[in-house]
Amino acid sequence: MKLHPILAALRKHKAGTVLIALQIALTLAIVCNAVFIIGQRVERVNRPTGLDESNLFLVSQQWVGAPSADNADGVEKLDAMQREDLAALRQLPGVAAVAPTNSLPLLNSSWTGSVSHKPGADLGGKGDIRTAYYFTDEQALSTLGLRLVAGRNFNAGDVQHQGFRDQRDRPVAIISKALADKLFPDGNAVGKVMYSDGSNAPTTIIGVVARLQIPSIGSWGSSFAWYSTLIPTRLDGGFARYAVRTKPGQLDAVMRAVAPALYKVTPMRVLDDDSVKPFSEIRAKAYRADIGMAVLMGVICLILLCVTAAGIVGLTSFWVGQRHRQIGVRRALGARKIDILHYFQIENLLIAGVGVVLGVVLAVGLNMWLMTHYEMTRIPLLYVVTGVLAMLAIGQGAVFVPARRASNVPPVEATRAA
Amino acid sequence: MLKMTHLSKVYRTEVVETYALRDFNIDVKEGEFVAVTGPSGSGKTTFLTIAGLLETFSGGEYHLDGIEVSNLNDNARSKIRNEKIGFIFQAFNLIPDLNVFDNIEVPLRYRGMKAAERKQRIMDSLERVGLASRAKHYPAELSGGQQQRVAIARALAGSPRLLLADEPTGNLDTQMARGVMELLEDIHREGATIVMVTHDPELAARAQRNVHIIDGQVVELSEDPRFHTVHAAAGDAHA
Repeated sequence: MKLHPILAALRKHKAGTVLIALQIALTLAIVCNAVFIIGQRVERVNRPTGLDESNLFLVSQQWVGAPSADNADGVEKLDAMQREDLAALRQLPGVAAVAPTNSLPLLNSSWTGSVSHKPGADLGGKGDIRTAYYFTDEQALSTLGLRLVAGRNFNAGDVQHQGFRDQRDRPVAIISKALADKLFPDGNAVGKVMYSDGSNAPTTIIGVVARLQIPSIGSWGSSFAWYSTLIPTRLDGGFARYAVRTKPGQLDAVMRAVAPALYKVTPMRVLDDDSVKPFSEIRAKAYRADIGMAVLMGVICLILLCVTAAGIVGLTSFWVGQRHRQIGVRRALGARKIDILHYFQIENLLIAGVGVVLGVVLAVGLNMWLMTHYEMTRIPLLYVVTGVLAMLAIGQGAVFVPARRASNVPPVEATRAA
Repeated sequence: MLKMTHLSKVYRTEVVETYALRDFNIDVKEGEFVAVTGPSGSGKTTFLTIAGLLETFSGGEYHLDGIEVSNLNDNARSKIRNEKIGFIFQAFNLIPDLNVFDNIEVPLRYRGMKAAERKQRIMDSLERVGLASRAKHYPAELSGGQQQRVAIARALAGSPRLLLADEPTGNLDTQMARGVMELLEDIHREGATIVMVTHDPELAARAQRNVHIIDGQVVELSEDPRFHTVHAAAGDAHA
């Protein structure tokens, strides 16, 4: 290796060398952590909800002049109105299944509580497990495309109804596998009981679905993101939501047919443009901030990398200009073009090498700081190693053009007047 | 050692062709010390750059140490420059970022020589020019004469077959120039082939043979009227 003369020359150009090494170090530290955050966001955005999301849409509607849900008579009338809507929707051509629901995964509108092995447990007490409830009916699994991995589905006899603000016993429930594993780590949750929201009345677990995300995507819900409970109960109020699964290829047509069908049941309701939306739109809206953040950080990374590459190009070009005659002398003394090219490449590798070593320390330090102050996990080694290799490659790429220009300096340059 | 036959060098632009060398013939034998003289613009430096394979030529033939060099590619020319030719430039051309030792080491590294041999050769050549104690000095810490001695040491370290010197004393005062010239004479006495381009008639007179170039051609000093014209003009100027 011809390191010694290159190092000797670099010692004579300390300022430029140190500045570029620092720039590389800072870029590596920021880009490594930014890419890690982007990776986490992408992973979060792409995680499956457990639903079969294709051909699924949600109808959210409000009755006008509806009976009050504060008394039993009003609740009964509201439930009848809800059943009429469900029947109308289920009769639409192209519809595969319809289920009432208070929410859907990613909708950010949730009813959360807690479940326990013990009756009458204090909410938030020891052994309490937070969960999000989906109040629905016997068509929930087929509508949402949930996969039953143990037990049975709801049947019509399981389904109750209640006013929005009422408390009612929950004799049966289907829970997500994550929640089942948490409640009963030894397995076989089906047939066992749990107590929800501090109730003394047991809820028998009749089925377990493979996966079901809770509606909340906020950080507060991250600790129980997969702990979902399906309760076979229609909630009656002035507001109702229906999840609709269409037959393949019928989504748009069925979505267009929803408003006329419901208005036909009763025109006394509010259905605006936002009332009928495909699940893809719910997903897009839920993760808009994550995607925006990922794109923004990606752009910042790109700009940083470009600025660093430009810095390397600039400094190397300056040095090539400054050493023009010296390069000619080297050529006159027997250097081949490739020797000159390698000289600048090795020089860059040395500077970038110092930069990346410093950058790794800074990247880990920044990651530790983020872990302390924000919800950040430890950066995997792979990100740092990839970052190091990428920075070295960018350095080599950036230095190539000026180095190639240097290699084309003719040997006769040695005889030109200084 | 160095033989050019009907060699020409033409610089072409869109509108004009300028002959720097035309029907140029020279034959330098092994062990000769030849001084090449001529007025400014006569083609001396062009001859030296072509002789040193720093530039290509337009026509004719050039044999260096028995090798016809006209068809050699850039890598082969670099190899010959590195192994067979030692350069001594008017402006010394030491690399300012490297100390004396590292400067002399540059051509040896390009030859792929082992470190121990490099060190031996560098110290030997520094001893030869009387600067062994200055190995760790940087060029800026040396006088002009010392820098030129380092350049000579760099040229000698590779044991070249041919030393090409371009106005080696042009940037030195009289005393330093004398020292450098004596060194070149010593090197020649030890068997080196030296071709030196110079303006200085006194230096040229100390060479074994003088070759005079006018208008890109070698001329016989006694026969060519242009030589007398040039010298008469030089004489007028001195007067």
